[in-house]
Amino acid sequence: MAKYVSKLARREFLKVSAAVGALGSSGLINRAFAAGDTVNFMAWSAAVDLVKSHVAEFEKSIGIDVDYANAPWSNYRDNIITKFVGAAPLDMMWVSDAWLPEFADAGWIAPINKFDNLMKYNDEAEDFCNDSMTYKGMQYGLTYYTDFMAFLYDEDALKKAGIDAPPATWDEVTEQCLKIKSAGISEYPLMLALANESWLMNFLAAMVYSHGGRFTDEKGNAAMQSPTEGAVAALQWVVDAVHKHKIVSPACVETGELTGLKAFQSGNHAFALEPKYRMRPINDPKQSQIAGRCKQVLMPSSNGGAHNTVGWMRFHGMSSATAANQAHAERTAKLIEWFGGRANGAYKFQKYLFTDIGAGFGVKPLFNDKDVQASYNSYADVEMIKAQQALALKSDVVTPWYGEWQETNASSWQAAIVGKVSPQDAMTKAGDKWDNLKQEFS
Amino acid sequence: MSGFYTGLKYTLARRFNYEARSAGLFLFPVMSVLAVVAVFPILYSLYTSFFNLKLTRPHRVPFVWFDNYVKVLSDELFWESVMRTVSFTVMSVVAILILALFIALLLNESFHGRRFISAMILIPWAIPTVANGLLWKWIYDSGYGALNGLLLQLGLIDKYVVWLGDPDKTIPLIANAFVWKEVPLAAILILVTMKSIPVDLYQAARVDGANLLQRFVHITLPSLKPGFMLVMIYETMMAIRHFDLFFLLTEGGPADASHVLSWQIYVETFRNLSFGTGSAMSYILALVTFALAYAIIKMLGRRI
Amino acid sequence: MTLQSTKFSVPSEKWKYKSKRSERTRSAVIFIASIFLLIYVLAPVGWLLSSSFQSEAEIVSVPPHWLPHEPTMENFNAIFFQEFEEVTYETRRKVDPAAGGYIPSTAKDLLPSMWNSFIISVAVVILNLVVGVPAAYAMAKIRFWGRQASVYTILTTRVIPDIALVVPFFLVIKNLGLLDHVMSLIITYLAITVPFTVFILVSYFESLPDELDKAARVDGCSRLQTLIQVFLPLARPSLVAVMLFAFLTSWNEFLLALMFTQTIASQTLPIIVASFTSDFTISFSFINAAGVVAIIPPVILALFFERYIVSGLTAGAVKG
Repeated sequence: MAKYVSKLARREFLKVSAAVGALGSSGLINRAFAAGDTVNFMAWSAAVDLVKSHVAEFEKSIGIDVDYANAPWSNYRDNIITKFVGAAPLDMMWVSDAWLPEFADAGWIAPINKFDNLMKYNDEAEDFCNDSMTYKGMQYGLTYYTDFMAFLYDEDALKKAGIDAPPATWDEVTEQCLKIKSAGISEYPLMLALANESWLMNFLAAMVYSHGGRFTDEKGNAAMQSPTEGAVAALQWVVDAVHKHKIVSPACVETGELTGLKAFQSGNHAFALEPKYRMRPINDPKQSQIAGRCKQVLMPSSNGGAHNTVGWMRFHGMSSATAANQAHAERTAKLIEWFGGRANGAYKFQKYLFTDIGAGFGVKPLFNDKDVQASYNSYADVEMIKAQQALALKSDVVTPWYGEWQETNASSWQAAIVGKVSPQDAMTKAGDKWDNLKQEFS
Repeated sequence: MSGFYTGLKYTLARRFNYEARSAGLFLFPVMSVLAVVAVFPILYSLYTSFFNLKLTRPHRVPFVWFDNYVKVLSDELFWESVMRTVSFTVMSVVAILILALFIALLLNESFHGRRFISAMILIPWAIPTVANGLLWKWIYDSGYGALNGLLLQLGLIDKYVVWLGDPDKTIPLIANAFVWKEVPLAAILILVTMKSIPVDLYQAARVDGANLLQRFVHITLPSLKPGFMLVMIYETMMAIRHFDLFFLLTEGGPADASHVLSWQIYVETFRNLSFGTGSAMSYILALVTFALAYAIIKMLGRRI
Repeated sequence: MTLQSTKFSVPSEKWKYKSKRSERTRSAVIFIASIFLLIYVLAPVGWLLSSSFQSEAEIVSVPPHWLPHEPTMENFNAIFFQEFEEVTYETRRKVDPAAGGYIPSTAKDLLPSMWNSFIISVAVVILNLVVGVPAAYAMAKIRFWGRQASVYTILTTRVIPDIALVVPFFLVIKNLGLLDHVMSLIITYLAITVPFTVFILVSYFESLPDELDKAARVDGCSRLQTLIQVFLPLARPSLVAVMLFAFLTSWNEFLLALMFTQTIASQTLPIIVASFTSDFTISFSFINAAGVVAIIPPVILALFFERYIVSGLTAGAVKG
């Protein structure tokens, strides 16, 4: 009976959804999103001019029209979810690796495995990127950019405090910070941006992985609450840094990544966790007080950890609705190739994205490009970048319930940092939430 | 002349019909706008609130009666969010009422520069919400913010204070940003009501020997009832459902300190993709809002 | 109340002497109250204005520069004088600032989006009056079956949080074929403002004596004539309040505009302002400049209509 009811109800639900379609479908004014042969491409508002110029070149060379639109990063996910649910025309869109399981399970984005012109780029792409775009054995796009969390320091601040070498362990970070603090060089020598925003998980993961820990074990069960694992230790380290040593500002829970970046650029801190591509603006004299002084060192370790950090990537994906229409899917695949693969034989978009803003490319051949090398050498140490990149781990919490869990996880970390709960209790709460969700979703 | 009387008689005879017809005619435009645009969304979210609608499980959407409501009401975090929403709303509405009354009393006087002031007070209202949120975020910033800079220069603090990052201060600070933007409308609504108080009421009271305080308590305040009612209903609705500043300033943080009900609904709907429980929460919030509006109308309204 | 106390609460025999002194007290009280009010309202605005003339590097000074040390017009130049040119690889604006300040590539869209916002807001105001006034009059002055219910029905449409309405609103707009069209925002904003418009006007019309209504009806006015000839002139202050309400609500709205629009054909001011924040960089000073520009049209409008609110037009006219 219950089964019958729920089946009926589902059919009813679909019927109502269809009725919505009929509602006023005559249309007062026929001016919807561009449809037909045009490819609808939605992105967040990053590198807007570069995207526009690359789209213009595509229209000229390939002869397919593209309708490019963008929304701010902070609203982007909500925006495309609304469009997916509302079945608005949307062919190609930027997707964060963290959303892949949700979007794939919801049936919004489609695998691209059947497009040979896209799959052929896998050989030249970083394995990390290919892995991160793969869910349940299917690949969902081509890389837009990839990066990792880096440990940066201001060389001058260290020298002034009489420190010869940057820290290799988190204990040394504490020591050096205290030295810098007592020398009056910086009130809060380490900059951590731990506001509740989408960047937060990357900062937390970098802390945990560098403490030799993981959030989950090989079976995907929560490991974060285990006192011997790195997560509790990492959180304990942050709590001590804020309350005991006072080397991290108690305002870190309201500091977003961009504000933190500005703070570091203005010379208020000696150390910072920042996405690697931020080295470019930090070392640019036009934007930064510490230009030329910002260096990278391997993420500090703890408990004999291996200097691990977290990596992430974003990709160009295709909507399921588009994939269902052969001709349109092929047109869209061409645009994906144009951005994520080669455009007229060259990795043009990836290269410009890197030289414009320093965002990392996921294609290996570009490392040999002269302009790319020149750009890197002007503000960073390529060998250090390669070494740290090799130690970048894929996030171990990317699941269909990631978003839901992260709400609890983020507030647990913050609660511990503001001193409301102990680090152990905080991680236990996050771990319990994880296991509950995992069960709920299985 | 006789035509007039016949006409009147005729009209009176058909009065009920004519009244009902003209009322219908007058209401038709607004009702049809709402029917086309507003009714469907409201019914849609009511409808989805009865389904276990999780977007990541598109092929399993069972009808679950009131399960979503039960689930929501038995969730601890939901009740914590409710408490935060209540404190935010009470704080904001009380502050708005007091400030708006003060501004309206001031603008009700005639003095040199009144026009200038009445135009200036509208400015906060005219700043788009997004710009307003970012402005306050920057003012409150613990590292560079104008608030810390100002207080330090005035000697009120001796070192920079953590503002939004301090869970005890988060809600009051967001309420302040909210009040600042909402006060102009409230002041105008009260001022408009003030303007409709007949002057002779005051004159009569003066003749009866009522002093100012008595006149304020016995004439001004009771006559302002409709204005207070408008402001209370509108601002309660705005505050209880307010989302933008929480989104722009703190995203519910730090440590749930600003995790209010509207934020919870957003998280449930767009982050967790649980449209079923999200809609159920919205409906609970809607019922409470409606009950409050009803109570306010019954308390302060005249005949509605 | 203090203001009036000094004005009236004086024994009549000493009226002249006291009134002079109390007149001075009254002015002083008004002056002080005005100063406090202006500080409360304008301090954040002043900071908005000052920082819009600062470079991004200056805005992070500690302590803050209350007046720009090196004022720059860069932000405003980008808004008002950026020329449109086709974006190619050569002309593309690299996200890294070339001249110290980051100007988003959507800067040139600010004025067109402001025009969209203006058109939408004006249309919403007009429609609000056309649709809302008769309804409010009917609810306030005509006794008909279902009168109370209709008031509550209208209010009910505004008790559900907008977040929950985003998706269904989107479906409606999409099925009306209005995505990325200013009409989509005009009709949704009408729907979200008109309930309060009606509510405000009902409460105002109710405060006007029924005798006015009866007298007009006895004189042979139709309902429509009564409304237009008797009530509208008396309701001017509340009509202006309602117009400001509808205009500014439309001017401010973000969430629905974000979902319904996607090109500059329909994008409104808040959307363009939000687009100035990206995940790669952000310019607070530029956003503040945009905020300053956004204030101008509503304030001009307010200055224009202000006297209808403050003038106390109805004060004498309503003695039933």
